[in-house]
Amino acid sequence: MTHIWKTRPWFWVAVLAAIALVLPLVVSNPFAVDIFIRVLLFAFIGVAWNLMGGYAKQLSLGHAAYFGLGAYTSTILLIRFGISPWIGIIAGGVVAMLASLPIGALCFRLRGPYFAIATIATAQVLMLLFLKFRDFAWGAEGTTLPNLGDAPLMMQFDSKAAYYYLALALLALGLAITYRIERSWMGFYLVAVGEDEDAAEAIGVDTTKIKRHIYLISAFLTALGGTFYIQYIYFIDPNTAFSFNISVEAALVSIVGGIGTLWGPVVGTILLEATSALLQSWFGSGHGGVQLTVYSLILVSVILWRPSGLIGVFSDLYRRFTYAGAARAKEVPLDG
Amino acid sequence: MLATLAQAVVNGLLIGGIYALVSIGVTLIFGVVKIVNFAQGEFVMIGMYISFFLASTFGVDPLLSLLISMPSLFAIGVLLQHFLIRRVLALGDMPQIFLTFALSLLLMNIALLLFTANYRTVQTPYSELTFHIGPVYFAVAKLIAFAIAMLLSALLYLFLHGTDLGKAMRAAAQNREVAMLMGINPDRVFCVAVGVALALAGAAGSLLMPFYPAYPLVGQIFVLMAFVAVVLGTLGNITGALIASLMMGVAESLGVQFVGADSGLIVVFVMLLLTLAFRPNGLFGGWAR
Amino acid sequence: MAEALVIRNLSKRFGGLRAVQDLSFAVQDGETVALIGPNGAGKTTSFNLITGYYRPDTGSVFAFGRELVGLRPHEICGHGLARTFQVARPFGKMTVLANVMTGAFLRNKNLDTARSRARTAIEFVGLSAKEHTPARELTTIDQRRLEMARALATEPRLLLLDEVMAGLNHAEVDQAVALIGKLSKRGLTIVIVEHVMRAIMAVARHIVVLDHGQKIAEGGPKDIVANQEVIRAYLGTGYRYEAPAGDAAC
Repeated sequence: MTHIWKTRPWFWVAVLAAIALVLPLVVSNPFAVDIFIRVLLFAFIGVAWNLMGGYAKQLSLGHAAYFGLGAYTSTILLIRFGISPWIGIIAGGVVAMLASLPIGALCFRLRGPYFAIATIATAQVLMLLFLKFRDFAWGAEGTTLPNLGDAPLMMQFDSKAAYYYLALALLALGLAITYRIERSWMGFYLVAVGEDEDAAEAIGVDTTKIKRHIYLISAFLTALGGTFYIQYIYFIDPNTAFSFNISVEAALVSIVGGIGTLWGPVVGTILLEATSALLQSWFGSGHGGVQLTVYSLILVSVILWRPSGLIGVFSDLYRRFTYAGAARAKEVPLDG
Repeated sequence: MLATLAQAVVNGLLIGGIYALVSIGVTLIFGVVKIVNFAQGEFVMIGMYISFFLASTFGVDPLLSLLISMPSLFAIGVLLQHFLIRRVLALGDMPQIFLTFALSLLLMNIALLLFTANYRTVQTPYSELTFHIGPVYFAVAKLIAFAIAMLLSALLYLFLHGTDLGKAMRAAAQNREVAMLMGINPDRVFCVAVGVALALAGAAGSLLMPFYPAYPLVGQIFVLMAFVAVVLGTLGNITGALIASLMMGVAESLGVQFVGADSGLIVVFVMLLLTLAFRPNGLFGGWAR
Repeated sequence: MAEALVIRNLSKRFGGLRAVQDLSFAVQDGETVALIGPNGAGKTTSFNLITGYYRPDTGSVFAFGRELVGLRPHEICGHGLARTFQVARPFGKMTVLANVMTGAFLRNKNLDTARSRARTAIEFVGLSAKEHTPARELTTIDQRRLEMARALATEPRLLLLDEVMAGLNHAEVDQAVALIGKLSKRGLTIVIVEHVMRAIMAVARHIVVLDHGQKIAEGGPKDIVANQEVIRAYLGTGYRYEAPAGDAAC
């Protein structure tokens, strides 16, 4: 019995993975695949945010800084030096990690709301700087990426499915890293820091160091998302790469889904992106404001009624369902 | 050169008066309720739209519409505290931050839906009026706004120090437990604090209307200014917030004058980060009251 | 006997308030020392100074051959000094086991080792039955037990206990006294801040009395209860020395 309980999560992960893998083979509508890619990408960024914001409760509203740095690093390397984005994506991650050190040193002195405000400011300062960098970063006008056709070595593909699988790989990477951290001393330390920094220090947790480390990982992953996104949309400008909406969405999907949980950001993204797709099909894409109005309403509702996130609702339902199933099974004799 | 400098300082001080109304509101809520209101700027925006529609529909002068915008926002504040903020006070950082943050997003986007992103302006007889003392020009609308802002700040100060309710509020800000032991009803005090803070934001909106366009995202710049001023002026310290706001206005104005027209915001953010880095407890001492 | 902890001329001011003034005392290795005094005498402040939560204005804290002033709290814990807080601060979301494992990770990052060491500590404080209970659902007393287990899991050489017995009933105080006795027998050095005099008399070999941030007396239990200044400042005239084994209520 306990054996089944222990293996069942893996069974569901396998089912999910199988569905995720065959999805683009079954669904060929490019509009739908586009939504799937958005879901995977934002779930991935949510997972990256969640490592820091969810487990260690460092509520950043400036992850666009790393998204943008990743995007710009790989694009500059590609256009100015002809270096493949496969190298650029790693370089972008490294640049983001380096940037996270001074930003973290500054912001981690602050707690709660003032940490959030400081992170907003850092992302905005970076955006404003890139608006000024006309010589090597194209200033406010931005630039389109050279279209190389189907060039897998340059991270450009003809088929949307390829981008889909790339985003899926990123998400799998993020989830695997989260899973490993959650089940190691680092996961315990992160939650301890999120719960009570003073108490964590009292039992030997170097809170500054652990926050710095998780910020490095979170920034690195977020930057990978930035490179991917720019390679997917073939265009970059500061307002896209450092968009405040990226910072907001990263936090939002995690909170709505379930802050500090492995699958929370995935659940949250599916929910929000599905809502957004429905809204678009009802209202068309012309109405600015509809999507964020609905997002913020969802956010307010979740905070007021379910601050631990919606994933709890699903696991409760699942448990009720399986308990009911187990109870029913008991009533029926095995040999009857 | 000296005249340009003086002009920039005057312009900065005048707009700083408006920033002061917003930051005093933020600091009042933070001091009493211990919540950072990310949506404070959106209430400035609401105040602006109230004045705009009163002016465009009924021809009410924006300064007169203070009498409507302030009570309306006071009522909104009481409702906000009673139905929303109160419910997250016992919870952690996440709900407290993201409730008002979500509210900010919500109000901005509803405004976008209802009023579109267009800039709305109100022309008053004094909108373009200026006079000068020596080489320094004063815009009448800004001067009036500044004067009323200072008057409202002074009234708030008198309210906090001269009335029982105001004293209760200060007591609650200093020590909630002791205040409750003294028989102060925290719910009522909190409602009034948020109400007053929002009324100040509404006033800022109405005062801005004669010389500043209303649009859905207009609150952002004001709330960011307010955050910087509130940190500079020490969290929860009203006089500190006032002085810091005036300084912020001058700093922004000097930035625009001497660094470049699009650098106002960058100056603000850099100031915020520098403040947080070097004086996380503000310029005006510890938790002075 | 070697000195485990030596405090010299420790002072801390908060604005105009002298929270701790020129405090000096020493704790021998393996000894149990009690820090007593009226509320606001500076006991908890002293703990915060020793464990790195406050930086003293002057003075030094020397423990196991190392100066602690200037070190961060986690470094001090790493050096073998573990503390509890006056109001227990468990990680509410985590289970009892996870809380204590977090402490155990200080000496060993392996999950299984940490788990088994945590279980030993949990058993020691008698919380085994509630291993999988989230800490926030525990009673106040159990939360204090948990905090003690969490501190023990860091394998300290010196344990600083801040009013672990406040609010306990008679039998529970006896349990706690027995627990501290057991720790002491294992060779652990203990500094305890406490108001329950019966317990102090039972566990402490040496007592330091604070008043208004200053040390007003120091000595063995018998000397302390006979000290006129201590009686005036803290114990009150009604207090009579009870033999530790005695059952009289206090």
